Amino acid sequence: MNAEKEKAEKRKAFAVETVGLTKCYGDKAAVRDLNLKVGEGQIYGFIGRNGAGKSTTLKMLSGLVAPTSGEAWLYGKPVSDPVVRRRLGVLIESAGLYPNMTARQNAVMKAKCMGLTDEKSVDEALELAGLAGTGKKQVRHFSMGMKQRLGVALALLGNPDLLILDEPINGMDPEGIKELRQLILRLQEEGKTVLVSSHILGELSKIATNYGIIKDGELIEQITRQELEEKCQDYFQVEVEDARRALPLIQESFSQVQAEVYDSRTIRIYGLAEGVLVNQKLAENRVPVYSSGFHHMDLEEYFLECMEGGKEHA
Amino acid sequence: MLNLLRMDLYRMRRSKSVYVCLACLLAMAILCYGMIWLMGTPQGQQIMMRTGVLVEEDLEEAQTILENVDTLVMFRQTCMDGGMYSVVFGIWIMLFVCMDYQSGFIKNIMATHKNRWNYVGSKVMTAGLLNLVYLVFQLGFILLLNRLFGNMVPYAGVKSLLFYLSWVWLLTTAFAAMMILICVWTRSVAAGALVAVLMGGGLVPMALYGILNNFHAAGWMKYTVYMSIQQGAGSYTSPADLYVYAVGGVFLVLYTAVAGLVLRRQDI
Repeated sequence: MNAEKEKAEKRKAFAVETVGLTKCYGDKAAVRDLNLKVGEGQIYGFIGRNGAGKSTTLKMLSGLVAPTSGEAWLYGKPVSDPVVRRRLGVLIESAGLYPNMTARQNAVMKAKCMGLTDEKSVDEALELAGLAGTGKKQVRHFSMGMKQRLGVALALLGNPDLLILDEPINGMDPEGIKELRQLILRLQEEGKTVLVSSHILGELSKIATNYGIIKDGELIEQITRQELEEKCQDYFQVEVEDARRALPLIQESFSQVQAEVYDSRTIRIYGLAEGVLVNQKLAENRVPVYSSGFHHMDLEEYFLECMEGGKEHA
Repeated sequence: MLNLLRMDLYRMRRSKSVYVCLACLLAMAILCYGMIWLMGTPQGQQIMMRTGVLVEEDLEEAQTILENVDTLVMFRQTCMDGGMYSVVFGIWIMLFVCMDYQSGFIKNIMATHKNRWNYVGSKVMTAGLLNLVYLVFQLGFILLLNRLFGNMVPYAGVKSLLFYLSWVWLLTTAFAAMMILICVWTRSVAAGALVAVLMGGGLVPMALYGILNNFHAAGWMKYTVYMSIQQGAGSYTSPADLYVYAVGGVFLVLYTAVAGLVLRRQDI
């Protein structure tokens, strides 16, 4: 009994927690044994290729798709709990909007659906999403970016504690992307949790405090921004004819640095201040250097590396 | 469920299709009423004969067209019995429900309401309300036309009108529940429209009736929604006339329950 209570208390610390979450369509598992943990106040970047299982996972968390097995909790309560669902704002895939209605009418519809009686919150949400001035323009005349913004506005209705945004910047112009980025950061400052998936990793890396990488339905890594920065630290890359032969020479000459063979022709050296010295040393020892230079791995490179390495990487 | 009902009513009021369908129903009523006026009144018959549509040999038969007809019979014949009402109303239901899926707004609804019964319940209630509005409007319109055409037929008693309206409302709401079930199940506009035409227009029930009647096995079809709409009593004469309420009630509950179960098992 105490253990159960302890578990429940632990779960409350997370805005989102899943245990062994699995969704199968026929024989194929779209999501397999997913153990996701999103702490309160985090901006959690959920990354994966097309068809990796991101949207299915987010749909399961939103209660739109029933898991085949496993469990999902929001703030320590099952996703089916009607109280906890009121703390959730969702934008999954494209924004679901009635094309023959205006932005405000769509927002009022959502507000009525949620039981909100005060239409002030509708105007506030539209204002936040930059759609207050769209007037009588019907949604079918909106650009893709405007529709996405309206989708975000709908997700913001009811002042939710947890926002689940699936590809929210799809179709947005740079200005819209910047505004959404600022909005997400502002919401985080207010203590809200944001679980966001995006293909535009450069954008995601500007806001996310944590990342989850999903591949073929499996969560292969969960990492904080600090951990990612450590992993993506600067390195000096040298391309030589035979990396395995050149490595001992570098290790002997530069004992303070860490060097590793990346592939048969490439060596990566971490913690090096001056690259010229390495080139000099290799040239003195008649090791031809084809190319060399400093690199900083960004989120995109790290993601691609994870995709190549799969679970072994983690 | 009340929140969803409020949402649906808000949407219904702003939906052009509500007014287009009502206009179609009223236009059909005018057309039918005009035809009956042309065939059943001396002034109309003169016009028909002048234009050559009617010859003197048909005159005697045409004069019997308004025998035993009152405003209720007129309402049934012009609006309900041909199945036109069910087809138009069924198409409106299809548009109303399928649009939730086509637009993707269903995601907003289901992310808020875990209980899928709320959705079906709200849709059935909305359909029931609109059904009542349509029926009352149409009946009022027929009474108005009768007035405008110089009281062509006698007025039916209020009791008969209320009796008929109440059971036909229940049966057409049951039909609406069937349309909701089809739309929730298939999520297809084409399937919804096809069922509205085939079932509402009576093509399937009549064909089935014809086949079964050859084997003297069509008796039970009296208890289907379509046949009950066609054959239900215009005024209350005996408790046996109340079977239409039972048919309407049973099918309404059945279709609503199945739609709820189907939706519960579906992913959005």
